[in-house]
Amino acid sequence: MTIERFLRIIPLRLRSVFHRSDVERELDEELEYHIEQQTAQNIRAGMTPQVARTAALRAIGGIEFRKEQVRDTRGTRWLEEAARDLRFAVRSLRHSPAFTAVVVLTLALGIGANTAIFSVVRGVLLKPLPHRDGDRLVYLRHSMDGPGGANLNFSVPEVRDLRDGTTSFAGMAEYSSWGVTLQGSEGAESIAVGLVTGNYFDVMGLAPVLGRVTGPADDGPGVPPVMVLTYDGWITRFGGDPDIVGRQLQVEDASVTVIGVLQPAPFFPTRVDALLNMVISPHHLSASMVEGRTHRMTEVVARLEPDATVEQARGEVVAVAARLRQAYPDAYDAGAHQRMSVIPFKRVMGERAQLTLWLLMSAAAFVLIIAAANVANLTLMRGVRRDQELVVRAALGAGATRLRRLLLAENLVLTLIGAALGAAVAIGGVGLLKSFAERYSTRANEIRLDLPVLGFAVALAVALALVLSFLATLPKEGTYASRIAAGMRRMSGSLRKQRLQRALVVVQIAVSVVLLAGATLLTRTMIQLSQVETGLRTEEILTVEVGIRPTQLLRDPSSDAQTKERYYRMRDAIAALPGVTAVAIGTPGPLRSSTVRFEVKAEAKALAVGEAIPRAEMRLANPEFFRASGIPLVAGREFTSTDQRGSARVVIVNQALADRLFPGTDPIGQRVAWTGDLMRFTPFSTDWRTVVGVVRNTQDGGLDAEPRAAMYMPFAQELTVAGSLVIRADSNVAALIPAVTRIVRRLAPTAPIDEVMTIAQIKDQSVSPRRLNAALVSSFGLLAVIIAAVGIAGVLAFSVSARTNEIGIRMSLGADSSRVQRMILGEGGLLLAVGLVLGVVGAYFGARVIRGLLFGVAPHDPVTLVVVPVMMAVIGVVACWIPALRASRIDPAISMRVT
Amino acid sequence: MSKPTDLVQGTLDLLILKMLALEPMNGWAIGQRLKQLSADVLQVSDGSLYPALHKLEQEGWVSAEWRQSENNRRAKFYSLTRAGRKQLQIEASNWDRLARAITTVVRLQEV
Repeated sequence: MTIERFLRIIPLRLRSVFHRSDVERELDEELEYHIEQQTAQNIRAGMTPQVARTAALRAIGGIEFRKEQVRDTRGTRWLEEAARDLRFAVRSLRHSPAFTAVVVLTLALGIGANTAIFSVVRGVLLKPLPHRDGDRLVYLRHSMDGPGGANLNFSVPEVRDLRDGTTSFAGMAEYSSWGVTLQGSEGAESIAVGLVTGNYFDVMGLAPVLGRVTGPADDGPGVPPVMVLTYDGWITRFGGDPDIVGRQLQVEDASVTVIGVLQPAPFFPTRVDALLNMVISPHHLSASMVEGRTHRMTEVVARLEPDATVEQARGEVVAVAARLRQAYPDAYDAGAHQRMSVIPFKRVMGERAQLTLWLLMSAAAFVLIIAAANVANLTLMRGVRRDQELVVRAALGAGATRLRRLLLAENLVLTLIGAALGAAVAIGGVGLLKSFAERYSTRANEIRLDLPVLGFAVALAVALALVLSFLATLPKEGTYASRIAAGMRRMSGSLRKQRLQRALVVVQIAVSVVLLAGATLLTRTMIQLSQVETGLRTEEILTVEVGIRPTQLLRDPSSDAQTKERYYRMRDAIAALPGVTAVAIGTPGPLRSSTVRFEVKAEAKALAVGEAIPRAEMRLANPEFFRASGIPLVAGREFTSTDQRGSARVVIVNQALADRLFPGTDPIGQRVAWTGDLMRFTPFSTDWRTVVGVVRNTQDGGLDAEPRAAMYMPFAQELTVAGSLVIRADSNVAALIPAVTRIVRRLAPTAPIDEVMTIAQIKDQSVSPRRLNAALVSSFGLLAVIIAAVGIAGVLAFSVSARTNEIGIRMSLGADSSRVQRMILGEGGLLLAVGLVLGVVGAYFGARVIRGLLFGVAPHDPVTLVVVPVMMAVIGVVACWIPALRASRIDPAISMRVT
Repeated sequence: MSKPTDLVQGTLDLLILKMLALEPMNGWAIGQRLKQLSADVLQVSDGSLYPALHKLEQEGWVSAEWRQSENNRRAKFYSLTRAGRKQLQIEASNWDRLARAITTVVRLQEV
């Protein structure tokens, strides 16, 4: 079709739709002109005016018929008919407002829940990465068995070997999480940054929105330190300042130039404000980092060659890993199955969210199934009442397609209004879901109700409407007359419909049981978790992390005494605050996980062949630490003021380490030491140390984590690389926060303050994702039960009203009201029983899938599998009772007269 | 009521396009002119003219405008568009081929 023709046709079509009355008027006028001319000609031929006009009209061959033919040429007929159907649908729905309201609300909840959860699933798991050719990105993972072994990272020599030993990668970039102190206008702040190699941005496929990104020229020593702000860092720290490029910032001891702002992209592995070249950290360029094979602090992201597959790459990496294990047996713990693998980047980004999100998505889908079943039942019942109407319409000549279209229009109106309300529900919930998803994925900020998500809602609505329209049976041709004659008497509808209704009720009950079981398991998980012993005696404890600069320490070890002195002064000032009962110094604070883990050995214990090397978290504590933190001493003594620099080296171990190193023997007096290649890169001695005490395990890795082995050293005996203040108060420790912050600011103005949190808050951090899980699934479960209860009550009520006549006859023949009640209850009870059995079976298998989300309850928790069906049964019986009662109150005389 | 089958399928379009190629005309005039030119052989029913005209308009082959007719009445005048002129050529040559073919068949000598 030529463009010229196209441009001519479009306005014509639009005019036929939007100026229909004009078009129709012109058609009338055109035909009228023809008739007048023909009439005039006929008169000239000798006819009387009356006859002449009639003849002219006859010659046209039926004015209305010709008009219809003309209208057909416009190609907009379907639109007009659809509009008419819709208008009719709206009108007929307005006649049954209760039905409409129930259906629309049910659908709104069902579609809303699904739309909201889908927006999260899409944002976090499905959406393509914003990176150029994001599906070519892979993440290299180095892991081993045991706590903290899920992600070991790589050392620089390992990255070098991987680069040399593989051909599937177009580029391999290094990323190291780091914290730096930024001297801002409001004092020192510690900001999270990533130190990256120059090829990082090219490999990741990320471009700047302002300025430039780093390149290979920014690698190595002797180059000026530069910084690329992340989009988020630019907005939150610098208010999106358009003139930021070229600005000099004071970072650590150096002046760093901002060279660009990165495009918005999900953070990996954690949120950072900026990405810098390695030169800012002398440590990253030191021999220990560059040459140390076990000095693993580098994340590796790589881009596959265009023709390479993940499998190929994985094969190559595994081969390199095997070679390395052979060449450097000391650097790899075979006993703990140390291994390397290659994972698509997108999958890594959604890894933690996956199980939870698919759980929520299926819970939402279940709610929709129940809601749809309810709506189907309602429409079926309404359909029975409408049989009459449909039969009359069919008898008057409406074809099956026409009737089906009418039903479809009606159902579309219902589901689309439901979807619109549902989208509103989802918009309301998306903020909550975003903060929920933030705990699982850095892609949470990509969650929005965009076009595809709204499209999903509309697609759900259309699909539901189609299903509902085809559930209704249309009157069969040839049965019209008899059915009209039967008239109002045949209210019960066909047997097929009843069977379908019952099946739907059974499905509703079964699905509700599954959802309820899931909700119960998750709620019990949450309760179990919040009752986990933290290992501490009290929660009235405040922890404050005060950063100091390890770089200064590296340059000048004698500065250590000053640093310690500063912590002591803070401790003394805080201890003088009213209400404070104890202040201690240590690192990390209680219930804080530590990433500093080293291999340990005991003098009395030889490692069996193939046994994993024991590892322990390194922790520092001053004499008051355990008392202030409320960590009970199990054996031996706490540190004392005599455990000084230069005095005999002593340690305190936790029970987990004691059990690992000294099973069945008294740990006190045993000698232990840090060991392993990695110790070369630390300022800590590998000399033997004597165990003087054993303390209880604390839940440092989260309430649901296995206790981790830990070894405490006296704060005074070692170099200070970090420090936390542990403050204990009589009551309401949170009220001390402002005073404590003021003291730290005054005594250490350039040190950043972090993680100011009470133990209660730390604990809550661990519980709250589970609480949200439980709350979401429970509300879905509750929703499901309510909808299902309404469903079963509705179906029975309908059955009662359809059988009014029959019940009347039964009662007049001598059935008493309790017998009628039993009859209706029996009808509902059967459905309930079948639904419950199916539900329990479903729950039994469904629980396996969510095993990973449970804590402290078995997936086949007998309590859950008993309590939930009983609960559902009670609700179901109550729902059956209402219609049963109504049936028993039927007055036989009235019921038989009315019908 | 069935559609009038007084013309070979599709030839009405061709005839209308040809008429309009001569000059812009209203519906009534097209009908009259067809009768005249074909010496009343082609009996196009008055009614079927209008659906055909509207179809051609919707296809973009003819355009319409309201003008004064010779007897000073407002009438809808149709004229050929550029696309319509091309369409006329196509349909005319189609017709030629069809007519030739039919003629050949009809004139076959019976043995």
